[in-house]
Amino acid sequence: MAERVLSRTELVLRQQERQRYLFGVQVVVWWIIILGLLIFIFSGVTLTIGPITITTIDLDTEFMKTWAPYISWGVPITLYIAAFSIVFASILALASALARLSGIPPLVALSGFYVSLIRGTPLYLQIFFFFLALPQMGIQLPGRVAGITALSLNYGAYMSEIFRAGIESVSKGQREAAIALGMTHGQTMRRIVLPQALRLVLPPTGNEFIAMLKDSALVSATGFVQEIMWRSVKVGRANFRGLEALVIAAMWYWLMTIIFTALQARLERHMARGER
Amino acid sequence: MPIVEIDDLHKSFGPLEVLKGIHMEVVQGEVVTIIGRSGSGKSTLLRCINFLEQPTHGRVTVDGLSVLVEQHKLTKEQKHIVHEIRLRTGMVFQEFNLFPHLSVIENLIEAPVTVKRMKKREAIEIAEQYLHKVGMSDKRNEFPNRLSGGQKQRVAIARALTMQPKVMLFDEPTSALDPELIGEVLAVMGQLAKEGMTMLVVSHEMSFVHDVSHRVVFMEEGIIAEEGPPEQLFDNPQNPKTRMFLQRIIGEKEEAEVEG
Repeated sequence: MAERVLSRTELVLRQQERQRYLFGVQVVVWWIIILGLLIFIFSGVTLTIGPITITTIDLDTEFMKTWAPYISWGVPITLYIAAFSIVFASILALASALARLSGIPPLVALSGFYVSLIRGTPLYLQIFFFFLALPQMGIQLPGRVAGITALSLNYGAYMSEIFRAGIESVSKGQREAAIALGMTHGQTMRRIVLPQALRLVLPPTGNEFIAMLKDSALVSATGFVQEIMWRSVKVGRANFRGLEALVIAAMWYWLMTIIFTALQARLERHMARGER
Repeated sequence: MPIVEIDDLHKSFGPLEVLKGIHMEVVQGEVVTIIGRSGSGKSTLLRCINFLEQPTHGRVTVDGLSVLVEQHKLTKEQKHIVHEIRLRTGMVFQEFNLFPHLSVIENLIEAPVTVKRMKKREAIEIAEQYLHKVGMSDKRNEFPNRLSGGQKQRVAIARALTMQPKVMLFDEPTSALDPELIGEVLAVMGQLAKEGMTMLVVSHEMSFVHDVSHRVVFMEEGIIAEEGPPEQLFDNPQNPKTRMFLQRIIGEKEEAEVEG
């Protein structure tokens, strides 16, 4: 009797698992169908089924073959800008979060002011500030430096909250244990709180990096940084092939996002396993 | 000469006065347990000794180092003395508070290396002795998340001991443990007491309080209501509040045993 009950439970569980699996398979199949449809739309094929004729978008493949390498050379530059910017943004975010939590009025004010100012103005404006406004004051930054500065300052402000939450989520007991062992506040922060907080903020920082990859395209508007977007707009305009050029750029951004999102997911799983 | 001396200690949290003038002396090698209802101020008293809570008023003396708190802000000199007091007191918390990003051995040597500037090799040597003492040598390289509650607490005790303190403060060390894990921690504490460590223990484990401590302090509403050797306090309490508290605790225990 008991055996039959057990096997029935097992059967239900197995069936549920199978349903979940089939659901997953269906989603993947539909992904492939939608992707196929997208490729079809851009295939240039003219399809006639009885009275209906479907005309698809005809891309200039010759142009794409010629200019794809040129646009693709923007990829390392985009990665370069995003990588440097995320590093500086993290440093700014950490400094801003520490200032915010310091309990020292001028530092708390400075941090709040920075976050408010940056979040209260568009990223687009901030980028142009470093390209257009600074030279007027006699400060001329090289294109990439200006772009990285603007992106770092912008993301630093948004990430400041992430870092603050990370630091605050380390329990009070951790600090107390360190203090009771005779550690100073500085030692407690450096040796006990920050190592734990940084582990917590690593996955969300990965997310910010992925967003940064795409926001770095805004830097192209200034005309001084030859990343993916700048290159694709340039050759697109010169040859009246904007569509083709943008398709190439879009494919790169999408591909990079997919790759880094996968890496990010692995990182997150790894982190979840390590802690507690 | 007492190794811990507390003189007219007051502590308020805002309008709430938690400690209302505590006097207490602990001599070297003495084991003093503090009992009382939750909210009676036992933990706060313990935490005032190493200044995890800063007293509102009063004097704390540990191993000849004395801080007299008269105003809100401590002077630079007093802060220095507080630091010295912390080096001479080890604390064990209810929630263990092991550092989760460090292995067991790293937990133990962290403070000796960063605070005492001890050579890493030397610190490891000392740490290994204490790990052995608490029976955790084989978990040397594990991370805290792989340990049971009882194991965590034994490591936490070893961590405090590795700083070679003169006084150990135990703040409800077994309250967060599953019942079957309490014994191993109490055994380590009993052994420590036998070796002559000066200990102040806040605990609800009446068997430990009765068998191990030299003196029991019963706190009620921020003052010491009664104190004395465990036999006297348990068998012949003078204060009716002590009697009520003990009856309730023993009653609960018997109830639990009947249910269990």
